[in-house]
Amino acid sequence: MSFLAPPHNQAPRGWRKVFYVNWPLVLLVVAVACFGFLMLYSVAGGDLSRWAQPQMTRFGIGIIVMFIVGFTPLAFWRSVSLLAYAGGLVLLLFVLFFGSVGMGAQRWIDLGFFRLQPSELMKIALVMALALYYDWLPPEKVSRFGFVLIPLAMIALPAMMVVVQPDLGTAILLVASGGVVMFLAGVSYWYFIAAFSAGVGTITAVFMSRGASWQLLNNYQYKRIDTFLDPSLDPLGAGYHITQSKIALGSGGLSGRGFMQGPQSQLNFLPEKQTDFIFTTLAEEFGYIGTTFLLILYTLIMVFAISAAIKNKNRFGALLTGGVAATFFFYFALNMSMVMGLAPVVGVPLPLVSYGGSAMLVLLGGFGLIQSAHIHRPK
Amino acid sequence: MDIRRPLRPLPRILKARAKGEDPDLVEAEERAARLRKQRTREKRRAELRLGLMATAFGLAFLAVGGKMGMVAMAEPEEPAARGQAAAIINSRANIVDRNGAILATNLRTASLYATPQDMADPLNAVDGLMAIFPDLDADRLLRDFTGNRKFVWVKRKLSPEQQQAVLDLGEPGLKVGPRELRLYPNGAFAAHILGGTRFGVEGVRSAELVGTAGVELEFDDYLRDPANDGQPLQLSVDLTVQSAMRQVLEGGMQLMNAKAATGVLLEANTGRIISMVSLPDFDPNHRPRPPVSGDPADSPLFNRAAQGTYELGSTFKIFTAAQALESGVANPDTMINTRGPLRWRSFTINDFHDYGARLSLRDVIVHSSNTGVARLAAGMGGEAQQAFLGQLGLLEKLPLELPETRRSAPLLPRRWSEISTMTISYGQGIAVTPVHLAAAYAAMVNGGLRVVPTLLNDVEMPTEVDRVISESTSYALRDMLRQVVVRGTASLGDVEGYLVGGKTGSADKPNPQGAYYEDKVIGTFAAAFPMNNPQYVLVVSLDEPNIDVLGEERRTAGWTAVPVAAEIIRRIAPLLGLRPHAGNETPQAPILLSSN
Repeated sequence: MSFLAPPHNQAPRGWRKVFYVNWPLVLLVVAVACFGFLMLYSVAGGDLSRWAQPQMTRFGIGIIVMFIVGFTPLAFWRSVSLLAYAGGLVLLLFVLFFGSVGMGAQRWIDLGFFRLQPSELMKIALVMALALYYDWLPPEKVSRFGFVLIPLAMIALPAMMVVVQPDLGTAILLVASGGVVMFLAGVSYWYFIAAFSAGVGTITAVFMSRGASWQLLNNYQYKRIDTFLDPSLDPLGAGYHITQSKIALGSGGLSGRGFMQGPQSQLNFLPEKQTDFIFTTLAEEFGYIGTTFLLILYTLIMVFAISAAIKNKNRFGALLTGGVAATFFFYFALNMSMVMGLAPVVGVPLPLVSYGGSAMLVLLGGFGLIQSAHIHRPK
Repeated sequence: MDIRRPLRPLPRILKARAKGEDPDLVEAEERAARLRKQRTREKRRAELRLGLMATAFGLAFLAVGGKMGMVAMAEPEEPAARGQAAAIINSRANIVDRNGAILATNLRTASLYATPQDMADPLNAVDGLMAIFPDLDADRLLRDFTGNRKFVWVKRKLSPEQQQAVLDLGEPGLKVGPRELRLYPNGAFAAHILGGTRFGVEGVRSAELVGTAGVELEFDDYLRDPANDGQPLQLSVDLTVQSAMRQVLEGGMQLMNAKAATGVLLEANTGRIISMVSLPDFDPNHRPRPPVSGDPADSPLFNRAAQGTYELGSTFKIFTAAQALESGVANPDTMINTRGPLRWRSFTINDFHDYGARLSLRDVIVHSSNTGVARLAAGMGGEAQQAFLGQLGLLEKLPLELPETRRSAPLLPRRWSEISTMTISYGQGIAVTPVHLAAAYAAMVNGGLRVVPTLLNDVEMPTEVDRVISESTSYALRDMLRQVVVRGTASLGDVEGYLVGGKTGSADKPNPQGAYYEDKVIGTFAAAFPMNNPQYVLVVSLDEPNIDVLGEERRTAGWTAVPVAAEIIRRIAPLLGLRPHAGNETPQAPILLSSN
């Protein structure tokens, strides 16, 4: 829409900002959400009021939040980044001691009308704080050891607090998107190679030691790892979700069984079918064609977000855009590999499609930040 | 990294100084150029990094898409149990009666088994199962489900309703497999003939049906042979006659207060068994377990018609008469000494009534004189008697197609003494099965040819090779048997139009001490009809009958077995396609003339 923009170099002001919004990104987000409404309507057995309607309401609020965030100058967000990060840490600490327990984990702060999940907020706050850090840090110092330790600590602190909740999925997400921001900021490849080798080395050592005289873990711990890595060892316990979702995926075939015709999801074989495992319903009812369509929508979102990051000459804005895009991607990737049995079940929703308020709101807020960075980018 | 260019490069400074320009300007220019260069480098690096990330994400999308495609295109695959060494052949042939009516067939049902390691909630599963099958043992189920067992049979046969109820429990560890069940649609009608089946090799997907008794066991190989291509096994039995006979016999048994009853109907000319009933009987669909205590011969499983050997009493007198006629010792009018009591060493033979000094042979049979036949048999000798009875097949195991018959041989005296000869002449001291008796009677009335009793429909007709008595002897015997009904001990046995003939027998039952009960008899009526051309032989035997007639206790066959047999004939003769004969007199001469 930039051809409609007036030919001056200042950042747009007031309602003019509407012309500078990254509209393709907005449309794609709406399209994915609509897909979600359709699926929620189907898994509720054709009941609009059960999941689809609350989800639409939330999405409506989320979109408004997105625009408000988007129209707020990026400088404001830059200035509150550190505050958001600190606030997120405090909330996480609060949740550790006073949070309400649900589904076997302590993740929520009950506000009465809304159950706040600080770990979701932290995903965006961490990206903001890291972007601020690298915006402040002169580029030539980026790869110095001391200046690498600081962001590592910034990532590790919330990640550890989330792991003990326990919420492994969010922890992985935090580490991954934090790592992406560091990577985009230009931290030397050697650090990543070193981190990767260290990880692989540790895992190898743990597994090599099994049965040897210097065994690092107890036998029962190995067994837990086995089941975690290969849920099919326990098809009715830990692996039940995955077994059922694989059946649903396979039964969908090329064109699916038709809208509201998926037996696995309609007949309640799938637990969490409206949240983390909604992709299986999609696969079952719309088949390979449906899932590919959703995949293309997600890919397009990534394409527009990354190209916005590339175009942005503001370092904070570019890093923020890239970081939020990475967070979005990891949501999707973790959920997808979980559903298809490529990764263990860690409890990550399918972004913008799964039923649930926190993740949706946080993601739309994140897209708001991308819009803000886009609208207020230097020309 | 190139060599760092100084912010104030000397040549430029000198040149600027020469031109009189401010050297600080040069520094500012240089600084700006360096910053620009650095910016460009930063931008390149950022673009590169973003590009790398985009590539990585793109690859991830491709991987997800590819994996999705593989899962979506995968052939559906059912998890199948492996390891069954040989396929279970499960195509047991039907058994049908002589008209093709089904006596035994297979019904597809389901079996229920459990794999405890798959159980989500064993306690709940046990509760649910107990609600559906109250006969199960809850403690044992719980032990099996929570122990180390990997596989537990819960129930061998499920009705469709039960199957649905089990599936409704939603317990993944409870599984239902298909299974064929042997079904006897007529229940107990032909229980002892059919026998029963059990499950042999049991698999999750099918189970082998193995015969355990009766023709199911006898023809097990045939029934299980897939090469027979579902060709049913056809028996000589007629389901309608069997049903009528069983019904009347059951009523008769109750009426006569008997503890057991037997009926055998066979074709006089071929030996084919049309009906064979042994009461009490059982439902082969739920074949009871063999009794662990008591006399197995009192069990419902025991086939009294073909397996049980009994002293059948005076019905044997006809054989003595036949032997006498055949050997020329006597003719029907020969007078026999019937003076009693007849003493032989310590043994005394009495008659039921005193018939005077002598009777004709015909009347010895008609009035059933023990002393008469005993004297006759003694005169002809034991060896001749043994030979004659042997010819009729009464001294060997019944050659019937039932495995049970091979387990019971006739009971014979250890030494065929003179006294044995005398008692055997009136049917004490020898025990045979009712089917033995029926087959021997067939030879007496069919013109003299020995028949072999059979349960199969395809049979070879007896020929002259099988002759045991001459035709004329047979005709004389027909007359005597008819006279027994017309004016003798079986007068209650006459059925108008069907010319029933026969011989009664009321044998004292042996007690465990080796002597005989005073008040327990087996009342037997061996009959044939119609007597002008006998087609069928019927043997009815009641165990310990006892009725009250006008204030007097009656146990003899004439009061018990005979009326029951008459009722049976009344019921089954029309079923057999016999037309009633007009008039009730015995057409004696025409038989002899029209004999063939």
